[in-house]
Amino acid sequence: MPVIESIDNIIQLVTTGFCTAFSACRLVATKRREWAILTLAGAVCFLGDLYWQLYLLFYGKTPEYSYISYIGWYAGYLFLSLLVVEIRGERKAKYNRWLFLVPAFTIGMGIFYLQWGDLIGNIISATLMGILIWVSVDALIMAKNEKKKESVFLYITILIFCFAEYAMWTASCFWQGDTFMNPYFWFDILMSSVFLALPFALKKAVKYE
Amino acid sequence: MNNIENIFMCLAAPLLIASTVTKERGRRLMIFMLTGMASCLFSSYISTFIAAAQGADVISASLEISPFVEEIMKLFPLIFYILVFEPTVTSDILDACMMTAIGFATLENVCFLMTNGSEDIIELAIRGFGTGTMHVVCASFVAFGLLHLWNRLWLRVAGTVAFLCAATTFHGIFNVLVSQTGIPMYIGFIIPVGTMVGILVLRKRLKLRGII
Repeated sequence: MPVIESIDNIIQLVTTGFCTAFSACRLVATKRREWAILTLAGAVCFLGDLYWQLYLLFYGKTPEYSYISYIGWYAGYLFLSLLVVEIRGERKAKYNRWLFLVPAFTIGMGIFYLQWGDLIGNIISATLMGILIWVSVDALIMAKNEKKKESVFLYITILIFCFAEYAMWTASCFWQGDTFMNPYFWFDILMSSVFLALPFALKKAVKYE
Repeated sequence: MNNIENIFMCLAAPLLIASTVTKERGRRLMIFMLTGMASCLFSSYISTFIAAAQGADVISASLEISPFVEEIMKLFPLIFYILVFEPTVTSDILDACMMTAIGFATLENVCFLMTNGSEDIIELAIRGFGTGTMHVVCASFVAFGLLHLWNRLWLRVAGTVAFLCAATTFHGIFNVLVSQTGIPMYIGFIIPVGTMVGILVLRKRLKLRGII
């Protein structure tokens, strides 16, 4: 069993578990829908990581077809997108034209990753990541224009999550082995840290509403 | 080897006859249970086909492919019911979700009995409750997405897909744990029961309809 991958997974299990538990407590205390969505986002990422770690533990290798964990992480992207839409509220202004760089970026990266990954997985990842980055950047622009500074931290945290995910995917294309010198593990730790920051970012965003 | 079609026929026949003599809600429940069993039958065919197409062995097929196929196959009858019959009563949709899941779990358990025998009552009881609850929990996730999410269509679709993904991952973890022996297997069977209790407690405390 790859030890470093297991340590990395366990760290992420702890942080996603923290995110889920913290959000669930806030949900019970405040009964707000935003906390329900973050609880679900944390929970599905936790389940995806748990499946991966259990498979490593019992079979000593990573899942060969990997559908299940990826499906959990895809659900995480969807719930984060729904969270941003929920916090952002109704949008009235026109879309900023710079936003159209987002699909260009995700499609471009998807084509680049096709050299290593499968077609369907790349299409799903590019689509869901495209939606998440689009709504986050759009909400960030809206928040700046409407001077809603309290939600900016949440959108930036989610964009750091997207950056870490893309950095991990790119690092995995040029795999440096199971060592802490592999940048893949640095970015995975960054992603784990994002799950610690998300509840505090959401707390700040909903505090002033 | 199981002849799953034959088992399906034996179980489906009394339900089919019962559905002709019952009316309204009773008939609907019978038909959805039957549909759940049919979903299990087709899931078995599709999982086998995908496994063969990808050259997967039995373990990989059971742990990595079948949870994904099974959850999608359970959703199809519900989507058909919602789109074609347009039910307006929430409890009708909930009934449909639950009975489809129960029908699915019933055929799956019978197939397990045919393969592994029926000697150990304790282990079979644990398995029966574990598998049954797991399918009901997964159906609850999807039902929650269909019933309680936002008013706008695209948000409802995105939310339902997200809950379907959550159900698939949960199902995958269950399959990994119960494929083991001893303590991991028992943990695997206990997790759905614990989750069900958690859902019921949370539902009571939050009065979910008011939140989502």
